[in-house]
Amino acid sequence: MEVEVAGIKKAYPKKTVLREASFSVRAGNCVGILGSNGSGKSTLLSILAGVRKADGGSFYMRDEENPAHSAGVVDLLHCRKALSKALGYVPQGDPLMEELNAWDNLRMWHDRETLKQSLAGGALRMLGIGEFLKTPVRRMSGGMKKRLSIGCAVVSDPAILLLDEPSAALDPVCKENIRAYLAAYKKSGGIILMVTHDAQDLELCDACYILKDGVLQTYDYDGDFHRLAGALL
Amino acid sequence: MTRVRAYFLAQLKRTFRLAFPQLAADILICACVGLLSYLLVAQGAFAAGGARYRIGMVGDLSDSYLGFGIAALQEMDDSRFMIELVGMSEAEADEAFEKGELYAVMRVPDGLLESIVSGGNDCLITYTPAEGSKGLGTMVMGEITDIASTLVTSSQSAIYAMQRMLVEEGRQEEVGRETDRLNLSLINLVLSRSGFGEVELLGYADGLSMELYYFCSAVLLFLLLAGLLNCVFFARRKEALWQFLKAGGVGAPWQVAGEYLAYLCLVGMGLLALCLPLSLLLERGIMVVPEWEGMGAAPFWAFVGSLIPVTIMFAAGQFFLFEAADGIVNGILMQLLCGIGMGYLSGYFYPSSFFPERMRVLGDFLPSGAAARFVEAGLFGKAPAAAVMPVFMYTAVFLILAAAVRGRRTGREWLW
Repeated sequence: MEVEVAGIKKAYPKKTVLREASFSVRAGNCVGILGSNGSGKSTLLSILAGVRKADGGSFYMRDEENPAHSAGVVDLLHCRKALSKALGYVPQGDPLMEELNAWDNLRMWHDRETLKQSLAGGALRMLGIGEFLKTPVRRMSGGMKKRLSIGCAVVSDPAILLLDEPSAALDPVCKENIRAYLAAYKKSGGIILMVTHDAQDLELCDACYILKDGVLQTYDYDGDFHRLAGALL
Repeated sequence: MTRVRAYFLAQLKRTFRLAFPQLAADILICACVGLLSYLLVAQGAFAAGGARYRIGMVGDLSDSYLGFGIAALQEMDDSRFMIELVGMSEAEADEAFEKGELYAVMRVPDGLLESIVSGGNDCLITYTPAEGSKGLGTMVMGEITDIASTLVTSSQSAIYAMQRMLVEEGRQEEVGRETDRLNLSLINLVLSRSGFGEVELLGYADGLSMELYYFCSAVLLFLLLAGLLNCVFFARRKEALWQFLKAGGVGAPWQVAGEYLAYLCLVGMGLLALCLPLSLLLERGIMVVPEWEGMGAAPFWAFVGSLIPVTIMFAAGQFFLFEAADGIVNGILMQLLCGIGMGYLSGYFYPSSFFPERMRVLGDFLPSGAAARFVEAGLFGKAPAAAVMPVFMYTAVFLILAAAVRGRRTGREWLW
């Protein structure tokens, strides 16, 4: 399986944020998208998630094993049903209802059986969500909320995972916990598209891109943070 | 649809978690509104209960006819419910006036009676109100003084003129009998004034008793301002959740539908919290609405039934306002301004008949006016089909606008 982002364009009345952004990712790979604040990273991710409309471009998923689509190719931006099935999206803020507990938030998205299986030996177990299943969201730490947000997105094993700054404002232990899960997800054949400011997140990535002035450019991250900072300027 | 249903159920669960403190607040507010309504209704009895304008009468009150006229005013005329005339000396009147115990002082000058007997008009009763400015109160008191002058002075002049005529014609023996007869005629005139006037209450539904008018107004106002009571529902809402929902295939209209239905349940619970105690009060006769007297709580529950479409519309309006407002504080302010403004224009505070024609038309056109028309139609047993149309139209408009705003917020696109 492979996904291809082809010529995504987006302009706001006073700013063009994406000028034909294109890249492709194969199954079991992770792509990191970097850029300064306000460069359009989150906009790109929200377009791929179907939250915002692009002015142009496509988001193809090629899956030779899937006979449901002609030639195994589907443009996810024009097929919402396939998009919502194939994709797990974790926005920057937590998409959780504060008055409900972890279980109730998960139940909004998945049936009881799926959740029980996942808690027993799937994604939810790996994320350690069983530890705070009955805790109301308003009493959770930032790390718990982030793990639960990812949990809500991945229980049904989506083929593609879109993450908007998954490790922002988290303590090192929590970051490590999330990275361990993402590594396992990748290993199982999942595709990760990640927007991040955290250099450590880039260790997970097989390819990196920098979004600057609306143009998406390949960046070869070698662990040199100063070089990266220079490239972002 | 499965996800939409799941989202609605999650919102409903959230609503029930919020409901307990919410209902406690509802009951507290309802008690305050009830007390206010009771005071408004009791205002009619308030005037008759002793809170009258006290007017001091100073000067030559020795004449039996003048005394009789004052007594007639005090005992027989409708004005006795508003004014209390108290005879006193000049010094006592000044002292009471300074202490604020008198609303006004009426001075009967020396020689008034001689002036009247001689047919002159050079001695006048002066009326000095405590308040310096000429307002509605002083104008009303001026009118009452005129009535008193007409009743007392003119009738007295008539008696003296009759006595003089009888003496001039040499019929002295008839003076006593004729004076009594004329006195009785004048008294009958005063007595017949009891039915002289009629108080007509104008409201959004002419023909309702004052009690039912204020009762309906209070309940409608409660529903109109329910957004303030239930603002907690709109707290801690997250754009991230809306984006997550949209990515999961639940677009803005479905999000709004799920949230609105849950919110409607919360408003419905609030209405029920208001109606249950009201029903008990009506059933036990503690609260009396003339139109429903002796009928138990059945007509009240029929009235509550007619409130369902109104509740649906007001809840949609409140939802839209919170959706359109930037933050919970702005939302509360918008609810307050729109609620009070619309309620005022549509006659929830004062009968809309008091307003100029244009304001009345505007008041009727507003959602609050549409609600009043619908409730009015229900109370008079008219077919509310025509009245329900604007209510449902407003509901649809509010929800479509709310979905449009949500779509704009989530993905910077209208609706989808």
